Amino acid sequence: MNSIDRIKSTVNFKASDRVPVIAQVFGHAAILADVALSDYVRNGELLALCQIKALEHYGYDTVFALMDVNVETEAVGSVLTYRTNNYPVVKSYALSRGTELDRLSVPDPYKAGRMPELLKAITILRSEIGDDVLVVGCVLGPMTLATQLLGIEKALYLAIDDPESFTRLLDFSEEVVIRFGKVQIEAGAHLPIVFDPSASPAVIPYQFFREFELSRLKNVFTSFRQAGAMANWLHIAGPTDSILGLYSKAGVDIANFDFCVDPLDAQRALPQTCLDGNIKPLSFVDAASEEIAAESSRLLNLFADRRGFILSSGCEIPPESKPENVAAMVSSVRHGR
Amino acid sequence: MRELNIQPLLEALLDGDQTQAVAEARKLCGDGAGHEWIVTEGIEAVMTQLDAKCTVEQFNLLEIMLVGRAVMKVMKDLYPTDVSSPHTKGTIVIGVLEGDIHDLGKNILKMILTAKGYRVVDCGKDCPVKKLIDTAEQEAAMAIGVSGLITTVIPQVRQVKDILAKRRLGCIKVMAGGAALKQASVESLNVDFVAETAFDGVRYLDQITGGKK
Repeated sequence: MNSIDRIKSTVNFKASDRVPVIAQVFGHAAILADVALSDYVRNGELLALCQIKALEHYGYDTVFALMDVNVETEAVGSVLTYRTNNYPVVKSYALSRGTELDRLSVPDPYKAGRMPELLKAITILRSEIGDDVLVVGCVLGPMTLATQLLGIEKALYLAIDDPESFTRLLDFSEEVVIRFGKVQIEAGAHLPIVFDPSASPAVIPYQFFREFELSRLKNVFTSFRQAGAMANWLHIAGPTDSILGLYSKAGVDIANFDFCVDPLDAQRALPQTCLDGNIKPLSFVDAASEEIAAESSRLLNLFADRRGFILSSGCEIPPESKPENVAAMVSSVRHGR
Repeated sequence: MRELNIQPLLEALLDGDQTQAVAEARKLCGDGAGHEWIVTEGIEAVMTQLDAKCTVEQFNLLEIMLVGRAVMKVMKDLYPTDVSSPHTKGTIVIGVLEGDIHDLGKNILKMILTAKGYRVVDCGKDCPVKKLIDTAEQEAAMAIGVSGLITTVIPQVRQVKDILAKRRLGCIKVMAGGAALKQASVESLNVDFVAETAFDGVRYLDQITGGKK
């Protein structure tokens, strides 16, 4: 069974040779290859090369064409500051006021900002790896992109003070996300993961998520499925217990859950949806590999009779993580429980 | 003096309705209420209610931001020259360390600390450790609060207490919070307290001060 077959079976709750393991290795692939993060996030060829090297090193089931959370906002007009050993940050947002939306247009993914480089990374990864290992692209969720276009504080206040303008901002963000994601699928991604940290219940209340974001995520996932995505994968960090039950309404096939969510609660909230998680990200930096192995084993046991489970970290494996800790998680699925 | 009814102000603040909150505070002043009474019975009381409501499971930043904004608007109206009330529990220096520019959590902490009666000196984001410590010394701070959303700032957090000790400022407490830092322990970060939420941090500071002005 190759990784793709294994993940497909797992998503459909069918038997597979072992539990899939997805290390959320993004910038860590650059550190592992001794490449500056500032180069990694700007050069699609280099990103693909680092991801392939990391795959060869660890032997997990997925590679990621994922730069950082600022690709879309930069393509729309935000200005970034690039830093050698950190992800870039927004220097000035595309919008200074929520009422200025009319001057923005949906970016062309083949031309705007770093989008073409991300597409290049996807194309290289798919041509090198084929259908053995899952090639994952990345888009932001509409809520997160809205907060990245205006800045999170302004965006959240806009939602309350001028819901009409905020709704238009979300509509625009949804359009950007759908276009970018569909082009990633055309370029060879098996699926784009939807990364939506600003939709976390740590940031917005349950009702806000249900009213503003859920239908938009559904539109995004419906479009991706129609474009040929192998599955729909939603990643929202933080204490998502209260909103997990809504994911199936959005068409989510794989639901990431963070370290602070009880795995049994996640199982109860989504009995028929594949879950991936949830080792504490910081533990890849500061724990011993034996602790990672023990935590992996605990999770494998908790999900032993379920099938719909992918062993993973709760969120990104920090770039500075110890390689032996990532390896410990990966090797645990081969040893079984 | 007419009988004072604090309830409408509490409701406006909890609703995050800044315009109504200012109107209610002005009405109370017109009815003879002192500014300090409004802070104690209105603003601090509402922060206590919000604290109780925002357990770790139910904590969301938007709700806190809205209440915090209304609180700051009332404070500004009561004390136009300084958003802090004249009597403080102590000075807290806060910042997001170099390399990290995510300052929403820090801004929320600032609002809550101010509303709870602390004087806050904000060193902003992407702040070098030295600047944070220099400011704490100059401002005679009782504590430093560092917020971090990314794990790469952790080595800097670990330095803060040691540098304070070397500079004979070991009496200044160090508190950490934010999505990345709260995954770590007090020992591994080399701090005095790791706060799960901003309210958690304020409770820790209140313990140190005895909660008294």
